[in-house]
Amino acid sequence: MILRRLLSLYGLLFFVFVYAPILLVVIYSFNANTLNMMIWDGFTLDWYRQIFGLETSLAESATYVDSTDQLWGAVRTSLIVALSTSVFSTVFGTALALAVARYRFRLARFYRTLMMLPMIMPDIVLGIALLIFFITIGMNLSMLTIIVGQSTFLISYVFVTVSARLAEFDTSVEEASADLGATPAQTFRKVTLPGIAPGILGGWLLAFIISMDDLVITYFIAGTGNTTLPIHIWGLLRRGIKPEINAIATLMLLFTLLIAAIGLYFRSRRQK
Amino acid sequence: MTPFDTHPAGVFPAGLQDRKIMPSPLEIIGARKAFRTPEGGTMTALDGISLRLASAEFVTLLGPSGCGKTTLLRTISGFETLDAGDVLIDGTAVTQMPAHRRPVNTVFQRYALFGHMSVARNVGYALEIAGRDKREIRMRVGEMLELVGLTGMEKRSIAQLSGGQQQRVALARALAGKPKLLLLDEPLSALDKNLRQKMQQELKALQRELGIGFIFVTHDQEEALTMSDRIAVLAHGRIQQIGAPAELYQTPANLFTADFLGESNLLPVTLDGSAAQLADGQGFAAVRPAGKATLLLRPEVLSATAPERPGLSFTGVIRETYYTGTDHQVSLETGTFGTIRALLRTGNALPGIGSTLTLHAPAEGLHLIDEVAP
Repeated sequence: MILRRLLSLYGLLFFVFVYAPILLVVIYSFNANTLNMMIWDGFTLDWYRQIFGLETSLAESATYVDSTDQLWGAVRTSLIVALSTSVFSTVFGTALALAVARYRFRLARFYRTLMMLPMIMPDIVLGIALLIFFITIGMNLSMLTIIVGQSTFLISYVFVTVSARLAEFDTSVEEASADLGATPAQTFRKVTLPGIAPGILGGWLLAFIISMDDLVITYFIAGTGNTTLPIHIWGLLRRGIKPEINAIATLMLLFTLLIAAIGLYFRSRRQK
Repeated sequence: MTPFDTHPAGVFPAGLQDRKIMPSPLEIIGARKAFRTPEGGTMTALDGISLRLASAEFVTLLGPSGCGKTTLLRTISGFETLDAGDVLIDGTAVTQMPAHRRPVNTVFQRYALFGHMSVARNVGYALEIAGRDKREIRMRVGEMLELVGLTGMEKRSIAQLSGGQQQRVALARALAGKPKLLLLDEPLSALDKNLRQKMQQELKALQRELGIGFIFVTHDQEEALTMSDRIAVLAHGRIQQIGAPAELYQTPANLFTADFLGESNLLPVTLDGSAAQLADGQGFAAVRPAGKATLLLRPEVLSATAPERPGLSFTGVIRETYYTGTDHQVSLETGTFGTIRALLRTGNALPGIGSTLTLHAPAEGLHLIDEVAP
């Protein structure tokens, strides 16, 4: 009995430990105290107003001056990068997963392991390797290098997600489709694709979220002109922690949860 | 170019010319197929199989698992390619044709229905692929669902159907495209016994009504006997015997068929050219070359009452009896022949376990097989 209570307490503490800091960021983002965010000083939306470039009553010293345009520029860059990268890695990751699952060829297992590798590779190593690679082949660091670089490891995430779906996909329906006269292309479009769609969608959303969030690898290959949101936030933090950052973090959190919710919604709709 | 022109003369058996005029729904000529095993060896799945449907028959491929029956079916549907030999459908060689271009459809063992489509889209799939217009598809789907007794279930999703209903959808889907031949891969194995028997009768009736050939794969001998016009018994990649159910059951050509179809008592006999002699000295007339052979005695041939005409008799002690309603299954322990199993009608009183009983077999119930039982 005591053991059970201790276990419940442990479970509770675990969740407090994980989620309390995140919850605090959200709470602080509404705190009017401009000097010490840990002391509640009344409710305000000023930090959000500041982000969106609206009129506020904040003193200039309390904010990251003229950050608004740069912030939204970074958001735009991040969205373009995340969208391109996730689409790119979803197409290639899915194609790879299909190839490895369907065709029997030598070294198939080796390829499978090779595809997992970028996920456990230290980000720093990958970042340095990509930087050296781009410099060696004479590519100027740009948004393109970010997209190419991120895709190299995001393909792995899509590959794993789609592979999991393919493993439980009953291939006899593909035979049934061919038996009923469908060409391989028709079978893929009408049977295979709808069957593994939840895996593909899941992989795409995962790639999108990870791309939006990646700092280390992107930092190496971004160059000067292309600041993504994580890099921009990292730059702000080096100028001290100001409450504004809480509002940015809260909005990012909200955005990520929204994407995850969309993913879950489509998954549950499919399984009905 | 007809399929026959692709082969050198003399490859085919006599009567080939007739086949051009009256094409058989299905003809398999010298089919061979070997698979590589993971250990690096080869496993012969089809070892020279030839089979010809005379007309729109219901032919069952019967055999134990691993006998090659599923492989044979998959070479007809196009999911396996032959190492040697040919497959002809309606007189046209389809040996090199991919599965999606062959005019046959399959009812799969575990149905393989499209879970993300409604019943109507499943059934209409072949027509949708063929690019037929929506009205025609809707009408055909309605007809097919009526045929299998699922009228009005167009909108249902596959998950909402019972196993038996899914079976019927699979059947309707395979028939909707009007195939020249329907292939059925153990389609009833997942159903419970009552439903299975009902479906057996329905399938047979359906085949007669549609007038197309059915190739039915099963390992269930009872199912094969009930439904088929002809049964091909397969073992070790070869057709052991092919014929009508009664022919195979009453006069099997070899020990495998005798043993695989129904219960059998196999007794060794010695032939002297005009008669056969059993180990205990009893004999009966048999004009066959001298040597050794095996006598097949079906359990239901034996009776406890002496027949008017002379036959064979076996005396022994009753070891076990089972009551089945219509019959008594009796195991009789005879000294010379070991255990003999008999099926006796329940009309007569049966002595208890341990008592001595004499069983009689009439001469017309005896069948000789030219093989020696191991």
